Amino acid sequence: MTEMISITLRVNGSERTAAVEPRRSLVDFLRHDLGLVGTHVGCEHGVCGACTVMLDGRTVRSCLLFAAQADGSEVTTIEGIGTDEALHPLQVAFQQHHALQCGFCTPGMILAALELLRDNADPSDEEIRVGLSGNLCMCTGYVNIVRAVRAAARDGNVR
Amino acid sequence: MSTQAKWVGQALERAEDRTLLTTGGHFIDDLTLPGVAHAAYVRSPHARAKIRHIDASRALDHPGVYAVVTGEAVAQFTRPQRGRVPLPNSPRVYAVAYEQVRYVGEPVVGIAAVDRATAEDAAELVQVEYEPLPPVLDPEEALKPDAPLVFEEIGSNVLWHDTFPYGDVEAAFANADLVVNERVTIHRYSSTPLETFGVMARYEPATHSFTIWGHTQQPAQDLHVLAAAFGVSPGQIRLIIPPMGGSFGNKVRPLFIIAAALLARKAGRPVKWIEDRRESLLALGHAADGIMDMSAAVKADGRVLAIKFRNIENEGAGIDFAGRHNLLMLSNIANCYRLGAISYEGYSVVTNRCPVVANRGIGKPFMCFAVERMIDAVARTLNLDRAEIRYRNFIQPEAFPYDTPSGQTYDSGNYPEMLRKALALVDYDSLRREQAKGREEGRLLGIGIATAVEPGGSNLAYGMLISGPSQLLSGQGEAARVRLETDGTATVFTGGLDSGQGHATALAQIVADELGLNVKQVRVPTTFDSASHPYVMTSGVYSNKFHGHDTVAAIGAARKVREKLLQRAAAQLEANVADLELNDGRIFIRGAPQKGITIAQVASRAYWSLADEQPDGEPGLEALYYYSNPLANRPDDKKRVRVQLGFASAAHVAVVEVDPETFEIKILRYVVIHDCGRQINPGIVEGQVHGATAHGIAAALFEEFTYDENGQLLTTSFMDYLKPTAADLPDIEGDRLETPSPLTLLGTKGVGEGGAVVAPAAIASAVEDALLPLGIHIAALPITPSRLFEAVSSGMKLYEKRK
Ligand code: FES
Ligand code: FES
Repeated sequence: MTEMISITLRVNGSERTAAVEPRRSLVDFLRHDLGLVGTHVGCEHGVCGACTVMLDGRTVRSCLLFAAQADGSEVTTIEGIGTDEALHPLQVAFQQHHALQCGFCTPGMILAALELLRDNADPSDEEIRVGLSGNLCMCTGYVNIVRAVRAAARDGNVR
Repeated sequence: MSTQAKWVGQALERAEDRTLLTTGGHFIDDLTLPGVAHAAYVRSPHARAKIRHIDASRALDHPGVYAVVTGEAVAQFTRPQRGRVPLPNSPRVYAVAYEQVRYVGEPVVGIAAVDRATAEDAAELVQVEYEPLPPVLDPEEALKPDAPLVFEEIGSNVLWHDTFPYGDVEAAFANADLVVNERVTIHRYSSTPLETFGVMARYEPATHSFTIWGHTQQPAQDLHVLAAAFGVSPGQIRLIIPPMGGSFGNKVRPLFIIAAALLARKAGRPVKWIEDRRESLLALGHAADGIMDMSAAVKADGRVLAIKFRNIENEGAGIDFAGRHNLLMLSNIANCYRLGAISYEGYSVVTNRCPVVANRGIGKPFMCFAVERMIDAVARTLNLDRAEIRYRNFIQPEAFPYDTPSGQTYDSGNYPEMLRKALALVDYDSLRREQAKGREEGRLLGIGIATAVEPGGSNLAYGMLISGPSQLLSGQGEAARVRLETDGTATVFTGGLDSGQGHATALAQIVADELGLNVKQVRVPTTFDSASHPYVMTSGVYSNKFHGHDTVAAIGAARKVREKLLQRAAAQLEANVADLELNDGRIFIRGAPQKGITIAQVASRAYWSLADEQPDGEPGLEALYYYSNPLANRPDDKKRVRVQLGFASAAHVAVVEVDPETFEIKILRYVVIHDCGRQINPGIVEGQVHGATAHGIAAALFEEFTYDENGQLLTTSFMDYLKPTAADLPDIEGDRLETPSPLTLLGTKGVGEGGAVVAPAAIASAVEDALLPLGIHIAALPITPSRLFEAVSSGMKLYEKRK
């Protein structure tokens, strides 16, 4: 049996301790060990961005990290962004502007957009497109995603 | 009492979104069962080889492995697959390769283990001895008499071949002032849903029954495919289809479900298999590549009298979609034009490439590309403007409903107006001036035009063109059940599925109007379950069928419920049904709104008070409705059949600039004017137009599955198979035209596939227009800077298929 590694991290504000196999990816850990299935898997090779989460405030591709590498870190997933009762302004904008269809890319897209707006509160369309270019959406052609992010930026409530 | 459109027509926010935005939704990989095992596959490294021997003993002995399944077991426990349209001469295809492999990536051994990593570890312990054989990859090569045979048992690589003479083609050619010949090709690509294919299967030995959670777009047909494979009754299979993270025609692979179900049976526990991206690109399925030769009979003024087509379609190593790309092309073969006669010859050819599936638009993107390339070629030959040639050939607005030579009935449209609107939006005349000026300065600016019909709702009787009149499957329809709950809200079940189109929202809008409810009081479960959802054999989400089938089925069921509701209310209010009105959750006497009763009051009595007199003859407030589209006919003796049943349309105008040194292609503007008739939810419709158009642009400029000469797929990751990002795609501008269909209940026409059908043609037209000073003709896709550079620097005048 492989030796397990013990890790402690904060996920969406709560402390979690677990023993993981060294090869357990962060996304599999979040999804299958913690049951946070909002983070999706689209490629497992770092291109699609479906697995995007925040690690200590910056977006990462959780398919390219081992869970063990997140030891001691603060992780935020879509489940920590807003709730049904209190949607995050980006979630509101995505819904208003039909910025999702199947929704599979959406959690990763919201986290990427959050980082984008934290870095640049008033991006141009061009900057939005470049800022989101690490996340693939197969459904929307990105048009309404750009609109939603622009609208959220205009409203100015994104933190 | 007539229905008021209070909710239909509004760009409402989608009911589906809050879950997807907060918890990420409930996709197949988010579901699990106690004791579930995970599957992995050993896949063929060869495009064509005999399987000499398989030694799986070390895998079976590996700790944590529950079951191993080889082709032998599959052939023993399941029956071979028949095509979706049964072929007269069908090869034997199983869920796992049996005796022979036919494409790189074909499953050879399935393994179920305690987790996926263990299953993958065990897969590496399997020893397979192959005897590699030379593959055949090109469909024209496959037609040669000495070509290697993909399926030896059928004695040829041709699954199907037929000719379709529609009208007096020879007379048209005799009458022509000139003949224009073109040869164009389409490559292999796929819309690659972001969520890969998934299935979870459970077997119950005592009842010999299966419960399957998994992906398909045609639940009823696939349920029957599974039943036939296992030799059980359809009632012994329960098929549950959670919302899909995109599908686009790709997730129709019942063989994958059969393999998982067999593993579950052998393992004695549930088995889950989630395809990884490499497996998906290798083996989920591609849009067919094809070669089209065309010849057009043309008058000197640019009128096209007739076109002859000959198409060779590469089906890869599969039979499930045999002939379908070919036959569906008969739906848009005339496109928007008044062609007096058409002849079509189609070949469906197998090769050692990945089997094909129904990628968004199936066949129609290629047919649209071919016809539009031909129209541009005629314009070029006669030195006519690309807009002008189309105006001269359009079917005129007063001609609808219009019957095309292949037997399609175009319901409505206004093609000249559609193109005029698109050209006005880009300011065509000043663009042409800018282009002329730019050319003097060495700028390569191009304006591309494509106008097209976007067929919706396939009539599955078209399969009779292959399998003959004895085929059972025909028509198009859907089933729906509407239930008024005791609290006065409604629940709608249909045989449709969710893969991102917002159908639950659209159905809620429709049913809310029918029942006088608030749209928020109508819920539509997004998980299909064959144990609770009604279906007909054509059920599902495909072929743009929602607009005129799912909608009508839901309306039919809702109207039955409304009838019962009003009868019950009339009894309780001591009034006549004819005097009642239904609005805002209440039923009241017309002219006296205070004399009324809530829907909840009536509904609750209907279920609780069984001792009441039942004015509608039975308690409860639930109704089932099966709809079949009366337009769906059978092929006539001239092989004419309404392959598809509704005809939306669009004009795409692309403005591109090509860098004269690097050949980088930049889309400056992209405009779509589309006409899908009446819109149920314009917000959803607009999203469908964007998404489909993006697929078409991606197919034209970025995406291609490339194989080497040994049949190895070279594009097995998103590093090699290039999907466009937000930075690669243009904004999509546009507007709508609304010519309601007189042939659907709501005036709707299909919308989901359209952009993907038209955009490849528009992009090709634009790039060719930009390169006119260099005299390059575009006859193939995708158009990439490096291949353009090669073509130009080698002095070629034709951008054509790369061998
Ligand atoms: S799943 Fe991590 S980038 Fe695609
Ligand atoms: S909404 Fe489906 S992948 Fe983005």
